[in-house]
Amino acid sequence: MRVSGIRSLWALCALGALPLACAANEGSVDRKVPADARGEVLISNVSGTVDVRGWDRNEIQVTGQVDEDVERVDVENSGGRTVIKVILPKGSHDGGDAMLEINVPRGSSVEVSAVSADISSKGVIGTQRLKTVSGEITAEVSGDDSEVRSVSGDITVHGNGKPGSLRVSSVSGSLDLTNGAGKLDVVTVSGDARVHMGDSSEITARTTSGEFELHARLQKDARVSIEGVSGDLTLDVGNSAGLALEIESFSGDISGCLAEGKVEQVSKYGPGTRLNTRTGDGSARVRAKTLSGDIEICDR
Amino acid sequence: MTTRRVKGIGELPRDIPPARDLWPAIAEAIQADLAMKAVPDTRRRVGWWPAMGLAASVALVTVGVFIGKNFQSVETQPLVNTATPVRDAAVVKASLRQAEYQKQRDQLWTEVQAKLNTMSPAEREKVGASLTALKKSIKDIEDALGRDPANALLQELLVNSSQEEMRVLTTVRDSGRQEL
Repeated sequence: MRVSGIRSLWALCALGALPLACAANEGSVDRKVPADARGEVLISNVSGTVDVRGWDRNEIQVTGQVDEDVERVDVENSGGRTVIKVILPKGSHDGGDAMLEINVPRGSSVEVSAVSADISSKGVIGTQRLKTVSGEITAEVSGDDSEVRSVSGDITVHGNGKPGSLRVSSVSGSLDLTNGAGKLDVVTVSGDARVHMGDSSEITARTTSGEFELHARLQKDARVSIEGVSGDLTLDVGNSAGLALEIESFSGDISGCLAEGKVEQVSKYGPGTRLNTRTGDGSARVRAKTLSGDIEICDR
Repeated sequence: MTTRRVKGIGELPRDIPPARDLWPAIAEAIQADLAMKAVPDTRRRVGWWPAMGLAASVALVTVGVFIGKNFQSVETQPLVNTATPVRDAAVVKASLRQAEYQKQRDQLWTEVQAKLNTMSPAEREKVGASLTALKKSIKDIEDALGRDPANALLQELLVNSSQEEMRVLTTVRDSGRQEL
């Protein structure tokens, strides 16, 4: 099924009923199609916003406003897969704005791709893959495997506290993650990252010059590996069974309640400090390394 | 260090162990590569896999060169013309890899520059600053390795940063096109 979703307002314009809308030369979108409870939803939009909401109906509703530079909004639905695509005129590079609100069945697997459009999602418990270049991403993610990616846009992710797998990457945008659990993989270049994780089994992170702050409750046998170059790392990791720490910085300082009195020089003559120690049975392993960033580690 | 005159090639040790075990960094790079290949979403990542592999191998060669320079200065300086054909072949292969990597890297930087020119000024400044930070970080690590070639932490950081550079450059180059 293929439908074009812009309802022109020109008829109303002719009647003089909506002069402001006519002046803006905008159109509205309002489409509804049946969908599987666990179907796949692919959404693409260049500019504007994409707000995805999970609901308890087996249908997808697309509503919103599009400006004059948007040719149409396609909604294609077949075999459990729904594609919602904002179509711009051929040769258009500026990208007309489309502000879309899309309600999908909660269990849907959702993939959103955008260039400068902001993305938000709420109430979806299926897999999510959210990607934008310069837009901001605000997402609630569930226990399923999810991925959130931006180049320069800031990312805010809120987990539901259930173990899952989440990959987040950004070049210059910042990351704020709360209530995550399970497995996490974070990559940033210069964006700062602040991560709050509940029960965690595996956390890997890499930053170049951004600051990285991690608060996590580690499971027994958890693995944490954080690498920075010039950014500072702040790790607050707790595990009732114990931690094995392998912390090293080439020219930065190592400090924090787990480091007091235990930091040693790597070499008698060269730079570098390290902290190799364990608490309890040392079952959760934490590695952190930097070139020139400082590392602060605590288990409070 | 004590020195003694060597009269015959048979008196020389058959091998010279490196100052420290290099295998952990190599094994980690291999593991990272394997882990990356295990990611199910292969279609989108295939663009930067080869570049990252090349970056990792060249970074390891760079580490080897730094270490080699270190050894050469204290022990192997007089032993010119002892290179075997096998070693020559390895050196040539490494040089070719280095050249190929440099070519790909330069090409990527050119493409990324073109991409930056299509961005808004604010975004260009933000992303450009990140790329500069990345480039500088690799330079800083290489400088530190020049002073402390056998440092395992620096070796690991160089391998990972070189891979990261290729990944980020590819991401920025393909941004927009990839998303849609």
